[in-house]
Amino acid sequence: MSTPAKPLAAAPTAPGVHPKALWSLAPRSDRESGDAVVSNFLLHWFPAKVFKRSLDWTYSFWLGTITSALLLLLVLSGLPLLFLYVPSVERAYGSVKDIEYVVTFGSWIRSVHRLSAHLMVAAVCLHLVRVFLTGAYKNGTGRGQRREWNWVLGVGMLLSTLFLSFTGYLLPWDQLAYWAVTVGTNIASSIPVAGAAIRELLIGGRTIDQPTLIRFYVLHVLVLPGALGAFFAYHMWRVRKDGGLARADREALLREKAEELPAKTKTYTLLGVARGTAPAIRSTTLEAPDLMVNAVPDLTRRVATAVLGTIAAISILSTLVRSPLEEAANALVTPNPAKAPWYFLWLQEIVTDTTFHIGSFTVNGAFVGGVILPGLLVGVLTLWPWLDKSPASATGVWFARTRRGQNLVFLALCLVVVLFTLIGTFCRGPYWHFYWPWETWPEIPTRI
Amino acid sequence: MTERRDFLMKLGLGAGVAGLASQGAASLRSLVPNVSYDAPTTVKVGLPMEFPDGLKFLPDQRLFVFRQGNIFHAVSAVCTHLGCTVRAEALSQPEEQTVGGAPLRLTHRFLCPCHGSKYGGDGTNLSGPAPRPLAWYHLEVAPDDGQLVVDLALEVGRDFRLTVA
Repeated sequence: MSTPAKPLAAAPTAPGVHPKALWSLAPRSDRESGDAVVSNFLLHWFPAKVFKRSLDWTYSFWLGTITSALLLLLVLSGLPLLFLYVPSVERAYGSVKDIEYVVTFGSWIRSVHRLSAHLMVAAVCLHLVRVFLTGAYKNGTGRGQRREWNWVLGVGMLLSTLFLSFTGYLLPWDQLAYWAVTVGTNIASSIPVAGAAIRELLIGGRTIDQPTLIRFYVLHVLVLPGALGAFFAYHMWRVRKDGGLARADREALLREKAEELPAKTKTYTLLGVARGTAPAIRSTTLEAPDLMVNAVPDLTRRVATAVLGTIAAISILSTLVRSPLEEAANALVTPNPAKAPWYFLWLQEIVTDTTFHIGSFTVNGAFVGGVILPGLLVGVLTLWPWLDKSPASATGVWFARTRRGQNLVFLALCLVVVLFTLIGTFCRGPYWHFYWPWETWPEIPTRI
Repeated sequence: MTERRDFLMKLGLGAGVAGLASQGAASLRSLVPNVSYDAPTTVKVGLPMEFPDGLKFLPDQRLFVFRQGNIFHAVSAVCTHLGCTVRAEALSQPEEQTVGGAPLRLTHRFLCPCHGSKYGGDGTNLSGPAPRPLAWYHLEVAPDDGQLVVDLALEVGRDFRLTVA
């Protein structure tokens, strides 16, 4: 690591030319630190300097980073599975059984894939909750910020994650898979007029068979990961364009306020220097070096901790938790009760409770609870940044007083979803009857 | 000059967009099947006299066939809410009721394992999210070998009864 003085001194000083061919993980100067970001491909998406307080784990809980780490694990563990799985209705179940019981490390790889998927759904949801409660989709002080669009991208990524999970648990073609496709595609067919055509397009016919499996397989291994990857890149690009985490705006705002008192116009001009293409943060970088740290190593070290920690946790957890595989798909017998995975149970609860009658006219709960309500929820969620009229000072602050009302409504909605999930998980027995968790279910014969 | 350039540019862009749009539409259309390899909807299900009195569940057709003496009718086992297969549960006391203008002995009720819908013995939706009664399907006797034939594409009213001579 010792730097010979001669080439350094002789190196040309023209912009874009870097005296060192290698970058350092533990730089000894600001110059070396900046060089790392510029010369390493893996670090090119980081800024040279970041706000110290953006790195606080109590601000972001690093949920986005953890989600990305899980996505990385999913891609890595999905690759060997791609070689081992056979997307045919006759052989899919057998190939997953082989992965589970015959292939060396197969069970562990499948467990890594499955646990990462479950945790990714959880992490994405928590990330959304964090961003909402901190008002991080709001634009603060920077020019050219479009944080609302990054929020929209985020909603798209949440939906992609859910569809990936759905298409993922169909692939083993066991009972869970078969009846999930049945219910899922019947929700689509409950849409008036176009429903039947949509279902036929989804399952490639009128009954669930080989065309159905291959469709969901291609969606799972190609279309949805591709979409998620594109969303992810765009999401990261926008974070940079918007001047980093919303908390950075908070810092800039505080500084602006503090200096506003003695000389109003001048300070304003100072912050306004960056007006135009460069984000406002940059002027703060120059004005307030005490608030900034170098991305290498302060940011990289934390990112590495979050990513490697996630990988370690999943690797260990996967040795302890086996992935379930139900009986092979049987079109003749619906399991009793037939439950969706935990993250869809609140929807299963809703489609159960929303059939209503107006006179002799009946509206199917499948349409109300499966299409209208979730559609409405996603719609309002997507448009929320435009509906939120709170001041810019509420950007990047946990539980800002000016956003108290919407935070409470949001938390109440989250509570309802959690409650429904808990009821679906612990309180539903045969025929979807309500039982307390400590009650035993009655004996139900498996056949009539 | 500029008008011609403008026109040609719009023409080029328009052709590009139209090309991409038709590629997309063609790709999507190719995924709508033209031939169905589904199981046929008209199925022979056995000789009428081999059916037990009361109810028989045919898993492959997801169908309940009822027999009362020499009178037959068939009710679908597909829940009208989201398509799970309902299960039959025998009533402790059979009930005599008028269904579709004719008397019918109801021996079972039907329960759905997915979202808890309940149906009466004639398929009427009683509680739970089911929006419609279970479908009744057309039954006839095959002219060649005398087996019962069910037509799963032909829904019938609840006055339907097949009397086998």
